[in-house]
Formats: sequence, structure tokens, C-alpha cells
Amino acid sequence: MRRFAAFVVGAVFGLTLSWSGMTNPDVLRNGLLFRDSYLMLFFASALVTAFAGLRVLRRLKARTLLTREPVAWTAVAPRRRHVAGAVLFGVGWAVADACPGPIAAQLGQGVGWSVATSVGVLAGIFVATQPRPAAFRQRVEGVAVAAQRQ
Amino acid sequence: MHQQLAWYVGGPILGLCVVALRWLTNERLGATGAWSELVERATGRVGALDTRGWMWIGLVVGGVVFGLFGSSLDGYGWLTETFSGWTVAAILVGAGALIGYGAKLAGGCTSGNGLSGNAVLSPASLVATGTFFGTAIAVSFLIEALR
Repeated sequence: MRRFAAFVVGAVFGLTLSWSGMTNPDVLRNGLLFRDSYLMLFFASALVTAFAGLRVLRRLKARTLLTREPVAWTAVAPRRRHVAGAVLFGVGWAVADACPGPIAAQLGQGVGWSVATSVGVLAGIFVATQPRPAAFRQRVEGVAVAAQRQ
Repeated sequence: MHQQLAWYVGGPILGLCVVALRWLTNERLGATGAWSELVERATGRVGALDTRGWMWIGLVVGGVVFGLFGSSLDGYGWLTETFSGWTVAAILVGAGALIGYGAKLAGGCTSGNGLSGNAVLSPASLVATGTFFGTAIAVSFLIEALR
């Protein structure tokens, strides 16, 4: 049931991304170049809705519908890796004019180019999830540095 | 579906997806996590696809539905206007790798950090989102100046 719920949410998400043009590189590009306000308005209205909806869940002390556990989330403190990763992500996003959700939806639409982007995404995630040397973790991710401060 | 969905309809639906997944299963909606489970499955770290993998299948199916009823792409933006076939494919593999690696390092992408993380005011997500939006805007203008 959890898997089915995730599937349905994913399908609505993928269809909405497609219908709103997020799978169209020109829409993304025109948004990032400030030629069209659609991207920013779309993103901002999604964020405001998610923010408000999650506040309501918290206010109601809601339990999850499928697992009956209290709805809860944790905040994450920023580390160097959040900045370093976001810079790399931002470069890839601007070049391909697509991010991970829309890339999956492009595959479904039969956009042949998205096969190339997908190969890259899978390779990138594979490399990122391999064990990394401690020096890399300290310098690039800021992990050990943060641990020393505590 | 031939006309672009109005932002004030599409945006809130996207936001409600974040709320729905949190309410249903207490999970953070993020497309990078969905892709990650495919990698975990392929490398044998998980035995079967769980919620994140099924969300990935959902994203693809959402695309299939739009593919059936919506308008299809003609070319692929500035890339196919500027370069020929194999060059575009090579650039997209490289860009995809930056997207996958960068999102994993940053703890999320436009959905995981940009929507789900920012919606709970997680400081790491706010920092990551400001950084990737700023970088993507700068790189887009750079591409526009160079090509």
C-alpha cells in the first residue's frame, strides 16, 4: 500500500511537471533567463502550498494515513557539501534544462534525448554513493570539520 | 493537455504532492531519492524497489500519460539548435552526471531540497536552493552570451 501510494503521488507529480512544461527545455531556459515568469511563479506557488499544507499537518498533530505514526520531519544543518553539490547541480540543470523529476517524466513521454541525461544521472548518483576518502569528506563535504566543532 | 497548465494550478498541485506523501507515509518527496533507489537496486544494496523506486515508476507513467494526450517536443532546446546529434547526447550525459552527483552531494534536487526541504525551512535546503538557482541562472546567461 505504501508503494502504491508513492506510485500514485509520483504519477500525479510527473503528469503535473509535464503539463506545466517543466519537461520542455525552452520553458526552463526562459524561466532561468527571466524571459518568462512562469517557472518562478510555478515554483513559488508549489513551495507556498507545501509549506502551508505541512504546517496544517503539524498543527493537527496528524498521524500518517498508512503507517499511523506521528507526522514528523527534521531540519538539516548546512554543510559545505550542500553548497558544493548545489553548484554542480546548478550547472547541470542549466545545461540540460531539466532536473531529476522532469527527466524521468521525459523518459515516459518518449523524449529520446532524456535517455542520455538519465545515463548521466544514474552514473552521477552511483559515483556519489561510493565510499569516499576521509580527506575528501573533510574538504569538500565539510563533514569532519563540522564534527570537530561539536 | 496541449496548452500549458496555468502556474496557479500546476504549482499548488505539486505542493500538495509533497503534503500528500508526508501525510500518507511520512516521507520526504524527492526525485533524486527516486533515482537513487534504482541505483541501489542495480548494485544489489536493496532487494526490491520500495516507495522511492515506485515513485520513480510513477514519474515515468505521469510522463507516459502526457505523451499520449499532450504536445510533443520538437528538438531539445538550445542544445539541438547549437550542436549536432552525438554532441548533444554527450553533453546531456555530462550534464546528467553533474545533476545526479551534485544533487546527491547536496542532499536533494529541485523537489527534495527546493520544495520538500524548503517547505519545512530546513537550513541546508535553503542554502542549497539559493545556490543552485543562482548557479543555474548565471550559467544560463553565460550560455546565452557564448553561443
